[in-house]
Amino acid sequence: MSESFPPPGFVAVPSAVEGIAVYAPALPETGPHQEVVDFKCPRCGAATAYSVVDGGLRCAHCGYYESPQAPAVGKAAPQFEFTLEALEPTARGWGEERRELCCQSCGAQLSLPPGQLTSTCPFCGSNRVIQRAAPQDLLRPRFLIPFRVENEACRQIARTWLGSSWMTPAALQQTARVADFVGIYLPFWTFHAQAAAAWRAEVGHTVTERYFQGGQWRTRTRTVWQWKSGHVQRRFDDCLMPGTGKVSRLLLRRIQTYDLQGLVPYKPEFLAGLHAQAYDIPLEQAWESARAEMREQTRKAALAQAGSTGAVRNFSMTLDFADESWRYILLPVYLAVYQYQGQPYQVMVNGQTGAIAGQRPVDWNKIWLAVGAALAPGLLLILIGLVTAMLGVGVAVGGIGFVLLVIGIVVAIVLFSKAQGLDDA
Amino acid sequence: MGEQGKTLAGMLADWGLALQPLVCERCDWAYLAPVGAPPARCPHCWQGPLTPVEQADGLPYAAPPELVLPFTVSEAVLALRVTDFARHIPFAPRDLHPAALKARLQRLYLPLWLVDGTVEGTWEASAGFNYQVVSHQEYYSDSQSAWATRELQETRLRWEPRVGQLKRTYQNITAPALEEEARLREQLGSYHLGAAQPYQPEVVTQAAIRLPNRTPDDAWPAAVPAFQATAAEECRQAAGADQIREFRWTPTYTGLHWTLLLQPVYATYYLDDEGVPQPVLIHGQSGQLSGARRASWQRAQWLALILCLVAVALGGLSLLAAVAGFIAPPLLPLAVVGLIVAALVGVGALIPLLVVWQFNRRLSPGSR
Repeated sequence: MSESFPPPGFVAVPSAVEGIAVYAPALPETGPHQEVVDFKCPRCGAATAYSVVDGGLRCAHCGYYESPQAPAVGKAAPQFEFTLEALEPTARGWGEERRELCCQSCGAQLSLPPGQLTSTCPFCGSNRVIQRAAPQDLLRPRFLIPFRVENEACRQIARTWLGSSWMTPAALQQTARVADFVGIYLPFWTFHAQAAAAWRAEVGHTVTERYFQGGQWRTRTRTVWQWKSGHVQRRFDDCLMPGTGKVSRLLLRRIQTYDLQGLVPYKPEFLAGLHAQAYDIPLEQAWESARAEMREQTRKAALAQAGSTGAVRNFSMTLDFADESWRYILLPVYLAVYQYQGQPYQVMVNGQTGAIAGQRPVDWNKIWLAVGAALAPGLLLILIGLVTAMLGVGVAVGGIGFVLLVIGIVVAIVLFSKAQGLDDA
Repeated sequence: MGEQGKTLAGMLADWGLALQPLVCERCDWAYLAPVGAPPARCPHCWQGPLTPVEQADGLPYAAPPELVLPFTVSEAVLALRVTDFARHIPFAPRDLHPAALKARLQRLYLPLWLVDGTVEGTWEASAGFNYQVVSHQEYYSDSQSAWATRELQETRLRWEPRVGQLKRTYQNITAPALEEEARLREQLGSYHLGAAQPYQPEVVTQAAIRLPNRTPDDAWPAAVPAFQATAAEECRQAAGADQIREFRWTPTYTGLHWTLLLQPVYATYYLDDEGVPQPVLIHGQSGQLSGARRASWQRAQWLALILCLVAVALGGLSLLAAVAGFIAPPLLPLAVVGLIVAALVGVGALIPLLVVWQFNRRLSPGSR
C-alpha cells in the first residue's frame, strides 16, 4: 500500500456501501466546456496559429513560438472497442471555441478557428456560405497527423500536376487559376479486426478419360465435382475509412497514402488557424463500409484457397469478426478549387506526403484523334486487303489489318477509360 | 472465555444440566454427555471406549455455548438418506443395512466459533467491470450472391484499479473450533447460521457435545481470511464492480467478540468385513450424508469360491463323461458342453471380485 492516501491520480467515486470509501484513477479528460481554449500569444495578445514549418504554434505578430509537445505515437495509438457506449463517449467537441461554415451549395460543414474570415467553400468553391457556432456535441478525435507539406509547396505540386497529362487542354497549366490551398483536417476512422472464415464449396477437377466408341478409342475430359471446405484467417490493421461524404471518395482514395506512424495525440493547438471537418459519417456507418471491404477481401482469399486446385461452384462461407477496434483520427489535406473556362475543378493534396489528385478537364478532341490514330492502321490495311483480294495477297494483308484493328480497339478503350477517369474524378 | 481458574465442576455447572466429560482413548475426541446416558462408543471413530475426565486440565474448553443450531432434519428425510446410503452396493457388508444404521443414530453437536469485530483500514484491489461489445458474424452464399449479417453482443471484463478506506463491523465470521473442521465442512457442507437459537439446556439433553480443541487465540489466524473475503466482497459491491481480485488491505481489528455455536450432526456407523466401524455422519439441518460406502470383499470372495467349486465339479464330471464317451459315444457331446459350461462358470467366478474392486475403487471414502 502506498504511503499517502489516496495515491496520486486517484479521485473519490461513489460507493454503494456505507463505511467503505472508493477511489478510482482520475479520468484524463473532464467536461468539454472547461477545456475550450483560446489561442492568443502570451507575449503580445495577437492570435497564434499552427505553423507547418515549425510544427507548433507561431505568433505572426511577434514571432512567439510554442511547441504542442505531442510525441508521435504512430500505430501504437490506443484503439477502442465497439462497446455499446462507443457512440456515447465522454470526451466530445473540439476542445476549443470554433465556428462552423455551412455551404449552401454542396452542404459541407466546416469547422473554422474563431476570427477566420472566409466566404468560400473549399470543397466546391461556392460563395454561398454562412457561419455559425460549431457544435461541441460530436465525438472528439483522439489522434491526428500534423501537416508536413507547406501551403506554398502545394501550388508548385498542383502546377506540375496540371501539366502532367497530355489528355488535358494544352493551355490548362498556363490559364488555370488555382485559388489558395486551404489546409484542412479531414475526419477518418481506422478499423482493426481479425476475420476467421470457414468456407464450403464444390471444387471441380478436370479428368481426362478414354472411352471406346465406333470401334476405336477416344479421349474426353470432364469435370468431377467434390465438396471441400477450408478456413481462412485474415488480420486487418488500420483499415482507413473517410469520416466525411462531402469529399470525392475517388480523389480521397488516390491521396490516401498516409503513414500512420506519424499519428500524434490530438491537441487543439494543431488545429489553431486551420480548418477542420467534423465527421458526418458516423462510426457505425463507417464500420459497416469497412466490414464490407474486409469481408470481400476475405471472400476473395477463401475463393483463391478453394480454387487453388480447380474450378469452384456453390461457394458459401461464414465469417466471424473478432478483436474489432476503431480510432477516430484527423488527417491533413489541402483543398483547392481552380477555375478553367468558367468551370470549377477540385484538387486535393495529401498534407503529409504531398500526393495530389483532382479533377482535370479533358480535351476530347485530343482523345478522339488518338482513338482515330489507334484504329486507322487496322482499318486501312483491311481496306487494302479487300482491294487486293483479287491479286491473291489480300487475305494476308486483311488478316494483318484485322489484328491491328483489334489492337487499336483495345488501345482506344484504354485511352477512353483513362480520359473518362480524369473527367469523372 | 473466562474459564481459566474455574474448577471442572464449576464449568459444567454453567451448562445448566448434569453433564459428564468424556474422552475417547483412541481418537482423543472430548465430549460432554448427559449423566446417566453416555454414548457407549465414541461417536466419531466408534472404536474407542469413552473414559470419564476428572480434571479440568484434560479439557481444552468446556464453557457452555451462546448459540445452538437445532436439529431440523425430519425423520422421513433421515430415513430416506440412510436407505439411499445402504442401497445399490454390490456385495454390501452384512452390517450395512438401513435398520442397523438407523438404530445406531447418535445425536452429536460439533462446536464452531463465531467472531464479531470492527475492521478499519485501507484497501486496494483490481475491480472487474462487465461491458458489452458488438461483434458481427457474416454469411455468404453463391446461391444468394449476397452477405447476411448477424449482430452479436459479447460480454467482456475490464479490470481497473481501485483503492479505498474501510470501517465496517462484521458479525458471525466463522472460525474453526476443531482441528478437523475443514474435513467435516467438506463432508457435510455448511450450516444455515440464521437458524441459531440462544443456548437452552434442554436443547442438548439427548446429545453428545463435542468440546472444542481450538481456543479463540488458536482459531484467529483461520478467521482472518474469512474477514478478508467478506471485506473484499463488500468492497466489490462498494465499487459497483462485477468481480474483484488482488485484494490487499491493512486491517486493524477492534471489539472482537467470540461466540461458541453448536452445530447438529447425526452420527452412526456400520461394521465392515473386518468388523471395523465405518463412521457415517448426517448434517442435522440439510440431511446431507457422508460416509464410506464399501462393498464387501468377503462376500465376493465367498461367491467366487462357490463358483470355482461348481466349475471344478462340472469340469470333473465332464472329464469323466469324456472318458466314458469312448465306451458310450453319445456321452461325448455332453462332456464337451459340460467342459464349456465349467469354463464359463470358472471365468464367471472372477466377476464378483471385479465388481467389488471396481466399486471400491470408484467410490472413495467420503462419498455420499
